[in-house]
Amino acid sequence: MKIPEQVQRLAIVVGVLLAVVLIGRFVLLPSRLVARELHQTATIEREVVKPVRYAGSTACADCHDDVVVKKAKGYHKGLACEGCHGPAVKHAEDPGAVKPAAPRDRKFCPVCHAYDPARPTGFPQINVTAHNPLKPCITCHNAHDPVPPRTPRDCAACHGQIERTKAVSSHALLACTTCHATPEQHKRSPRRATPSKPETREFCGGCHAADAPLKTGAIKDAPKVDLGTHGRSYPCWQCHYPHLPEGRS
Amino acid sequence: MNPETAAGLYELLEQVTGYIYPNEIEIHWSILIVAYPYLTGLVAGAFILASLVKVFNVKEVQPVYRLSLLTALAFLLVAPMPLLLHLGRPERFYEILLTPNPTSAMAMFGFVYAWYLMGVLLLEIWFEFRRDLVVLAQQARPPLRWLYAALSLFSKDISDGALAFDRKAIRAITVIGIPSAFLLHGYVGFIFGSVKANPWWSSVLMPLVFLMSAIVSGIALVVFLYMVLTALRRQPIDMACLDKVTSYLFYAVIVDFSLEALDFIHRLYESEESVGILAKLITDKLFMSLFVLQILLGMFIPLGILVLAKSSRRFNDDLRKLLYFTAVILIQLGIFATRWNVVIGGQLFSKSFRGLMTYKMEVMGIEGLAVTIVVLVLPFVILAAFVRLLPTQRLAEREAAGAAALSGGSR
Repeated sequence: MKIPEQVQRLAIVVGVLLAVVLIGRFVLLPSRLVARELHQTATIEREVVKPVRYAGSTACADCHDDVVVKKAKGYHKGLACEGCHGPAVKHAEDPGAVKPAAPRDRKFCPVCHAYDPARPTGFPQINVTAHNPLKPCITCHNAHDPVPPRTPRDCAACHGQIERTKAVSSHALLACTTCHATPEQHKRSPRRATPSKPETREFCGGCHAADAPLKTGAIKDAPKVDLGTHGRSYPCWQCHYPHLPEGRS
Repeated sequence: MNPETAAGLYELLEQVTGYIYPNEIEIHWSILIVAYPYLTGLVAGAFILASLVKVFNVKEVQPVYRLSLLTALAFLLVAPMPLLLHLGRPERFYEILLTPNPTSAMAMFGFVYAWYLMGVLLLEIWFEFRRDLVVLAQQARPPLRWLYAALSLFSKDISDGALAFDRKAIRAITVIGIPSAFLLHGYVGFIFGSVKANPWWSSVLMPLVFLMSAIVSGIALVVFLYMVLTALRRQPIDMACLDKVTSYLFYAVIVDFSLEALDFIHRLYESEESVGILAKLITDKLFMSLFVLQILLGMFIPLGILVLAKSSRRFNDDLRKLLYFTAVILIQLGIFATRWNVVIGGQLFSKSFRGLMTYKMEVMGIEGLAVTIVVLVLPFVILAAFVRLLPTQRLAEREAAGAAALSGGSR
């Protein structure tokens, strides 16, 4: 079968292109140039010549062991020294001549501690405008072992989101302690002594069971259900969120 | 921390809501990377429109066949430019070619692109234009004569047998070309859809959504170019062609919208842990580009316009042209917004799912608005050169059409 003229011409072009590429790649280019090691070495060299700016927290511990020990016990134990004090390799090399900065104004701490609903509940958050206006944070708090200077008055100091949610719910008038038995120690070391949570249907039934006795402070027309039949045997919070139970008009 | 660093940090922090990780504050994929899927989408869409003629024998679409092919080529030539300019060291791009990596999804673009350009598009265009190039090489004066002769690879055979072979070759290439076009843009969707750490991108529907929106944008672009070209040449518009192509456009928009709606509903129903931040993302950061530009201006209004133009028999040709023209421009706007929402949107929320970032577009930098505008305008310049050099209708047909117009005009 005769090959059409146009295919012959295309074949020549394709052949020439292929030949150029193959000869270029396998004959003309020195093998060193196409070696991956060369590119990797170049990258590593490029990174290595960059100046080192951070000393690393072990360097800090060499001299400031008292601070490091203190910090290791506090809530900031997960933070690196240079996170707040800035890159300090020069200070590590010549401690006398170069002093690292320390944030002493009110601007730095709110980067993490300003109230933001996206932050996890239980994380200490403040309203920067209302919280001791104009006072630098370090007048009351030691950044290396931050604790509130006074025991917080109420739960909202740390559980702002729950407080704000509950405030618009039908449970607004209930104190947190109505449902959570809170040891006094929880206010000082919240992770060591945790408050209780209701565990049984009967707990909610204390106000909401049809035969519940009228407790002091319980609202008379709180919705009543028959605990024997309502929602089979599921715990109440399977369907109802206690901090925002579905509203009634 | 020294005062300048602190001042810089505070300035950046104003662009952040909630919690983000430190390395998320910079948006790495800029508006240039928005232009990349947009351009490749136009290529795939224009090619699929062209394939309607050859594979599915839709005769009405013939007048835009060559224009679609040339559009696909002009945009394909520019498609890698955004990627090239996005490289930190663009002059080192050849290193990718020297050390090809067959297992990297990113590096796969080189293979897909080379196959589509060399194996499909250039071949089909060459076979389609070969006869005209041979004829033009005989008619034109130097230096154009040499150019045409070189472009035809100095072939001379325009016998019936040779032309029949050309037609067969075109059909075969188009049959291979359709899956290749799907591959080209499906690949771009895959790049985003396979990022499993990013809930806004990670979706198996992504390649399909990209593909359908590519078809939408490609068809809309060819309609736009066809209308502009005929207006510049003061030729009549083939309304049968325009009606047919816009019908396909209409169906493509419907399928595209359904797929995107499916994706949306699916995410909403699955309600994975990311749903909260994604809801904030689309209401806070993407409201304008998603709800207003992409869905309202880019989909609902053009759909309404197309329904209006198709449903009423009372509209004359001129009014329909106006409606179609408005619809295709709005669709382009919408598809660009689609790409924006995918590329930029996917980088505006933190992997912590607790914070949002802000994209501040450069204007003059290498990844800025000005460069992107140049990259988006360049294909039109290349296309203008193609259209000047190469006839967008077969020469014999053009002569027949010219004669018909002449006799029509003399009546």
